[in-house]
Amino acid sequence: MSLDDAIRLTEILMGFAFAQQSIEHLKSPSNERRLFIPRLLLSILLILGIQTPWVTALLLLLAVVTLHRFQGPYNGGADRMSLLVLCSLCLVLFAPSQRWQEIAFGYLALQLVLSYFMSGWVKIVNPDWRSGRALCDVFQFSVYPVSESLRLWSQSPRLLFVMSWGVMLFELLFPISLLSLTSLGIALVIAASFHFANACLFGLNRFFWIWVSAYPSLLWFQHRIFTTT
Amino acid sequence: MLRTLKLLLPALLPSWRFFDVIGPSLRIQFTLLGTEHETPYEWQEFRPRPTQLSLAKMLKRMVWNPVWNESLFLISCAENLLEQPTRHDANKKETINENVNENENEILTRIINELKRDTSTIPITAATHLQFRLLLVQRQGSALQQKVSFHSRIQPLSAQDTA
Repeated sequence: MSLDDAIRLTEILMGFAFAQQSIEHLKSPSNERRLFIPRLLLSILLILGIQTPWVTALLLLLAVVTLHRFQGPYNGGADRMSLLVLCSLCLVLFAPSQRWQEIAFGYLALQLVLSYFMSGWVKIVNPDWRSGRALCDVFQFSVYPVSESLRLWSQSPRLLFVMSWGVMLFELLFPISLLSLTSLGIALVIAASFHFANACLFGLNRFFWIWVSAYPSLLWFQHRIFTTT
Repeated sequence: MLRTLKLLLPALLPSWRFFDVIGPSLRIQFTLLGTEHETPYEWQEFRPRPTQLSLAKMLKRMVWNPVWNESLFLISCAENLLEQPTRHDANKKETINENVNENENEILTRIINELKRDTSTIPITAATHLQFRLLLVQRQGSALQQKVSFHSRIQPLSAQDTA
């Protein structure tokens, strides 16, 4: 994927993710709507490709105001990833040369790889994750399962043991997928399915959209590092 | 400026430690009171999760999930509250940390807004005040233990801005 195509696709996907997040606030109290209606409008401009450098700059300004309003991210990791994608894109669009564009976009790709690898690493060094106990705890008493019936999964320790190791191994081996475009494509489909499952089981829908919006940076990065001669 | 940097840095240099340790989990419970001095005796969980959620509803939540995301935000506020001095400690010191107030206000306002929005499930006509508490749920061996970790101030229902 070329740099220009990857940047444009990131703009569209991030715009969609931001629009989705903003729409969820339209029924919020008025002091929140004041932040999210302009964000929704800017996201639409971003999707349409209108004045994208200035639109991302305004989105960044709005993001800082929103961080102050909620004393941090409203939606934890998803909002942090949103900020990372936004900042990287903003730097790319204002970069003085293609080299600086590549550095900023490459940083996003690198962080995306780390998001999987580090998540796997912090799990595998924890004995509770290696035994499957941690995932049992997630289903048994954490705030995340979206229904009471899902809590019953904690009574299937063998299934959760297999799931734990599946997640840890996938996350740890993710960087190896960069070796070819085919393996990266397969890894990204599995990763997106993982986020989709998290959205269904734990209600983490915003993670799905914002992580997918960073995938073009990785497709470009793989081509740039491993295919360019 | 320093505060802005402090808020931005975890996003620009993330640690990516998702679900590294599964610690105690928080629940928000509330009670409705007839007077400011009434002793609370019945606590209800704020937004208890449904028994079942159909696949169709899960798919709908991929694009429209504001209530759940607000609940997760309130859990973050609750975690922030517990990282600050408790109300009990604060009373002893006769100072209330500003962050405690902001997080407490955020939770109180959103519970009241919800109650006023959805009077069909919990009628609030007889109530004049509201209090919430935070319950810590954790595993001890193979059993789950619950411990009350925070009581909010008692808030008049009419004093909150529901705009």
